[in-house]
Amino acid sequence: MTKTTDVTPKKKGWRWGTNRWIVLGLIILGLFLLTDFFGAGLNIKPIRPFVQLPAEHWSEHPLFSTSFLGIGDFYLTNTLVALFIVMVLVIGLAFWFNRAVQNAFKKNDLALKGIPGALEALLEGLFNMTQATAGKWAWTIFPWFAAITLTVLLANWMELIPGVDSIGVIEEAHGTGYAVQPLTAGIATIAMPEVAEHGSHLIPYVRVVSTDLNFTVALAIIAVVAVQVIGVQAQGIGYFTKFWNVKTFFSKPIFGVIDWGVGLLELVSEFSKILSFAFRLFGNIFAGSVLLFVMGSLLGSIVIMPSIFYMLEFFVGAIQALVFGLLTMTFMAQATQGHGEHEEAH
Amino acid sequence: MEGNIVMAAKLIGAGLAMIGAIGAGAGIGIVTSGAVQAMGRNPDATGTIQTNMILGIAFAEAVAIYCLVVALLILFVVG
Repeated sequence: MTKTTDVTPKKKGWRWGTNRWIVLGLIILGLFLLTDFFGAGLNIKPIRPFVQLPAEHWSEHPLFSTSFLGIGDFYLTNTLVALFIVMVLVIGLAFWFNRAVQNAFKKNDLALKGIPGALEALLEGLFNMTQATAGKWAWTIFPWFAAITLTVLLANWMELIPGVDSIGVIEEAHGTGYAVQPLTAGIATIAMPEVAEHGSHLIPYVRVVSTDLNFTVALAIIAVVAVQVIGVQAQGIGYFTKFWNVKTFFSKPIFGVIDWGVGLLELVSEFSKILSFAFRLFGNIFAGSVLLFVMGSLLGSIVIMPSIFYMLEFFVGAIQALVFGLLTMTFMAQATQGHGEHEEAH
Repeated sequence: MEGNIVMAAKLIGAGLAMIGAIGAGAGIGIVTSGAVQAMGRNPDATGTIQTNMILGIAFAEAVAIYCLVVALLILFVVG
């Protein structure tokens, strides 16, 4: 709001006049599809989708089978596809940002505009947070923080895109399913009524990657292992005395044993960090996806209602991404500070 | 009246598992109340307080998320 005194007048301002009509048109389209709409509507009732915890496979046959590390059959799952999309997006954003910064240096106009500008603001906020917590180790810790936050943010926000979770192959259900309605050539939809036998349900092509426990556990293991690596970088091999503390075992009568026991508890807490990291992200986003499905099927006829839950999920996705990164950053900052070095650090 | 007693037990179990969310709700409320009071008294420290508040909420929320995961496992995986 402070930039209203810009010298160059903007040719294309904020398109309030146009956007408003687009939103109104979408609302009317929704009413036309989902309700009777004075006898003209299609009156398609939204269905409650089939909810499955493990990711669905793209193909019947595995991509490859190997006994290496006990992998077994390796399927291309729909969450893996989403992960590839997220990776392409993150790498693309990185190149875009890099080019924008170089152009800004060439033109000697250091204020970035558009999405690179927003990315710069986000990264600057994250870096300030890192510097306030980690001090001189900020440059080591910040790449982990930023990479994890960006990846998880894009992965979480994918559930808001129409078509994710709702476009896919129609397969025959094992239990109750829904009837198939052909729309045009090659395209069909499943809709009410529910049929007890020979019904169908939808296997989406793309499913949000955070709703797959494999992704969240892998990310949590990466984060916790990186915490140990940074601890060793900062304190050398002495970092591990945090877990196996026998420095005071003989010199102090009882407290030495207690210190040693506390070290073992620290070791347990490292493993519980993996669990809590993984389940926090997975639980939030999976529950969010199910919430969107159920609210879409319950309140879908009241067109505006599900959008409120989309807004909720927008915030939940952002907060969970920030929390994952922030916790990684905090644990890393703690790992760089030894028990006995508090005095010399300050 | 007919139905599947295993299904009924699953639904009841999932509902019972979510009782654990009580503690997390109370905990998040306490964390936020303390943080808001602190921000009111010392508005300059809002940034630090907010970061720590989000961390505390994340830890308190983790318990509720464990309950949620158990409920989801009961509903969609077991049996």
